[in-house]
Amino acid sequence: MTITPGPQVAATADASGVVVIPKRRRIDIWRKYKEEKLFAFGCTMVAIMLLLALCEILHLELGLPTRITPYDPNFATGNVSVPPPPLADWPGLLVDTIFNGAKPPHWFGTDNSGLDVFSRTIAAPRTDMTIALVAALVSMLLGTFVGLICGFYRNIATEVVMRISDLLQSFPVFITAMVLVALSGRQVWNIVLALAIVYAPIFVRLTRAEVMSQSVRGYVESARAVGNPEWKVAFRHVLPNSLIPSLIQVSSTIGFAILLTSGLSFVGAGVRPPTPEWGLMISLGAPQIILGEWWQSIFPGVAISLTVFSFAAVGHGLEEDYG
Amino acid sequence: MSVQEIVRPAAASNLVMEARNVTVRFPIEDAPEVTAVNNFSIQIKPGEFIGIMGEPGCGKSVAAQALLGLVRPPGYLASGEVLFQGHDLLKMDPEESRKLRGKDIGMIVQNPRYSLHPMYRVGQQIAKVYRAHNPVTKQEAWDHAIAMLRMVGINDPERRANAYAHELSSGMAQRVLIAIALSSKPKLLIADEPTSGLDVTIQAQFLDQMWENVRQTNAAVVLVTQDLGIVANYCDRVLIMHKGSVVEQADVHSFFRSPNHEYSRAILALQREETSEERNTREVKVDSTSKPLIKVDKLTKLFPIRRSESKVHAVDGASFEIRPGECLGLVGESGSGKTTAGRCLLRLVEPTSGDIFYRDLNLSKLTRDEFRKKRDKLQIVFQDPLDSLNPRWTVEQCLMEPLNLHSTMTAEQKRARMQELMQLVGIDPGQIHALPKEMSAGRQQRVSIARAIATNPDFIVLDEPTSALTPETTAEIIRLLMDLSRKLGIAYLFISHDLTTVKYICHRVVVMYLGQVVEVGTKDQVFNTPAHPYAKALLSSHLFPNVENRRVDRAVRETLQGEIPSPITERLPKGCYLYGRCPSQKDRCKAEKQELKTIGDGRQVRCWRVAEGDLPIEVAVGH
Repeated sequence: MTITPGPQVAATADASGVVVIPKRRRIDIWRKYKEEKLFAFGCTMVAIMLLLALCEILHLELGLPTRITPYDPNFATGNVSVPPPPLADWPGLLVDTIFNGAKPPHWFGTDNSGLDVFSRTIAAPRTDMTIALVAALVSMLLGTFVGLICGFYRNIATEVVMRISDLLQSFPVFITAMVLVALSGRQVWNIVLALAIVYAPIFVRLTRAEVMSQSVRGYVESARAVGNPEWKVAFRHVLPNSLIPSLIQVSSTIGFAILLTSGLSFVGAGVRPPTPEWGLMISLGAPQIILGEWWQSIFPGVAISLTVFSFAAVGHGLEEDYG
Repeated sequence: MSVQEIVRPAAASNLVMEARNVTVRFPIEDAPEVTAVNNFSIQIKPGEFIGIMGEPGCGKSVAAQALLGLVRPPGYLASGEVLFQGHDLLKMDPEESRKLRGKDIGMIVQNPRYSLHPMYRVGQQIAKVYRAHNPVTKQEAWDHAIAMLRMVGINDPERRANAYAHELSSGMAQRVLIAIALSSKPKLLIADEPTSGLDVTIQAQFLDQMWENVRQTNAAVVLVTQDLGIVANYCDRVLIMHKGSVVEQADVHSFFRSPNHEYSRAILALQREETSEERNTREVKVDSTSKPLIKVDKLTKLFPIRRSESKVHAVDGASFEIRPGECLGLVGESGSGKTTAGRCLLRLVEPTSGDIFYRDLNLSKLTRDEFRKKRDKLQIVFQDPLDSLNPRWTVEQCLMEPLNLHSTMTAEQKRARMQELMQLVGIDPGQIHALPKEMSAGRQQRVSIARAIATNPDFIVLDEPTSALTPETTAEIIRLLMDLSRKLGIAYLFISHDLTTVKYICHRVVVMYLGQVVEVGTKDQVFNTPAHPYAKALLSSHLFPNVENRRVDRAVRETLQGEIPSPITERLPKGCYLYGRCPSQKDRCKAEKQELKTIGDGRQVRCWRVAEGDLPIEVAVGH
């Protein structure tokens, strides 16, 4: 990585490492970061989540001492559930649970197996962010490429591709992803692929529409007139000028992908327990809410909401300026 | 004669309007304010036709709006007053000044289609404005609307009054706007670029109409324009604005004869040089016996129409030749197929039939890939300079592209070549990393030209290269093109509807109408003694910036009737394509297809009357 002065830090953070913003625009992003609270909040949250994911990955994959969770998210350290007390004690016990279940040293409490909820909540971005980021990236690359071809060459073959893309889009995203994961197995890379496939049609549509409007611009004809072969016209001239809508879309897609990843594990079609993952935590904690153990589901739930909201805020901010 | 001397306090009684020291400023975030109009003063006498000229952004439209009593936010009035009938329009109650605006001050804006309400009949729109300012009944207002439509020269006004805006052609819509503006017999009419986007024949019809109408009612007109031709032919007085200030205010005759301000001289450069030594030294001498460089034979382009058997006849059997180093002008109204012809030549649009020869090579027989390799010798410069450059590429990238595609030079040689190109077209080396949007339109067009000449072409299609430019920049670009042709021996096909530049740069001229070539001749032949009735009408409608022969002073203002028909298979005229609009038509023209025939003085004309000597060739009145 190159030395990053102020403005570029902002650009990389909000772009979540995906968006390549030309030199001239970085200044604008930095100004936007300073002026708009919502956008700044989104960028900061995204940066924090990325950092958390990075720390955990470095620790697990390379064994670096970057673990920041106070407890090991995969080993029981707190109180394991005990047999239920007599029925007469329940009201008092419920109140006691609600008010005393989550307090130091386990700030967010512990779950049924005695795992520290705080550690698991901040360890989860490793899974959620990785899946969502890679899935959104793959679907953008795939969608942009297909969209470019379909927008640039208008013929029966590309029309068929567009209809297939429409077909894919006409199924509910969640159902399609569930079926794909169920068919291919609950491995992380299968989930990534399933997410990439269900989100690709959005990028196909966006890119195709932009390519079609760019293709009639004068500079495209000028590129032909100067002697470019068609593929060069498409990739060197039309493509770079058609990327903006997709680049903006990618941010909200990451947010949706996080939601979908957790959704899949909530219904049991996602990653396997005991992987720290927000959807899984909510799913395991949900039956306990009735017993007053609110913390098991609430904290990962808030984490999901915040992250999705942050990505949406970044996407919205970028769209305002460049959309 | 300075501006101050002209604008001296005069007796207000005989003036329609007087503006004194109007200054309008625009606050800009994080930057000093912009003074859009600076100390603008004008005195308007009854019946006067005043032109306000200047480049885009010089403040002429803001000044015109101030004359209407309007200062649009975020702009604000810093100082000044606009006196109309003893009131200061700028300080008046908005409701009061609105009443004056519709009644005593009329307004005609650019883009007639958007200015008309799409859901009211045009008659209703005229009647509504009339009723708003005059105590009349609906029926009286409607009758008045029909009378107004008749006055602005619309045939069958009873029927047209019931039409909606989308049913009218743009020329007719523009007339409706004059009718609205004139309906209450205003004392002053303000027109902001009323004819931009109209064809010359329609423009002439429109301005003639407006001129006649205001002469009848003795109204004064303030016409905001960029067109020297309009100013020279219609205006009595002209104000030149530059960067918000009036730099020259003069009688139109003395302005064209001896402009005072440096900026005025720059915009008049082409006209002033036309006959001078300077132009002659620029001119390339072409050997008229040499073998043609480009030969176009029966070029035809038909565009299919969706879900229909009929086709759009964009180019209909066009044939012409271009010799090495020659500049051939291709002129005609919009819809005449001149741009499509240029694109077919370079196969940016695939011709339907016909042959294009480059020296001995038949370009239309090459595969697309073979033709691509020839593109280094055959280039094009487009109309819109900003649109024709990749918005993300710097000057460097734009100029390196043709070199990378076609030459075998080393990286260093390419860089040297790029420097040389920038010097040739006059781009400052400091701008090498500039993006197109960071440059002025003139600079952008220079980059386009540099791109076109990068690979040493023999032939360049210039597709209206100056129509998006100001008069000043047009003059610079035209001189540059002539210099390049002389230095590098490049032949041009100069496509333009601006006959003034064609006259300056071209050796020979092709006139097209509805996809057909109707006349081919040398510049002097076509401009001095046009033979084909269409060429005659085109020349007479074109407003040459020549005050010695103003259109309004002519006894007969020749122009064509109606508008160019739509070039769809079944709507095309059976015989001569001009039948129905032609002032010299005879019964024979109705059914007989016309062929391009060579006449006595060597030119080719598509008209049997000329070919058979039935229609005498006269000296044109146009310029």
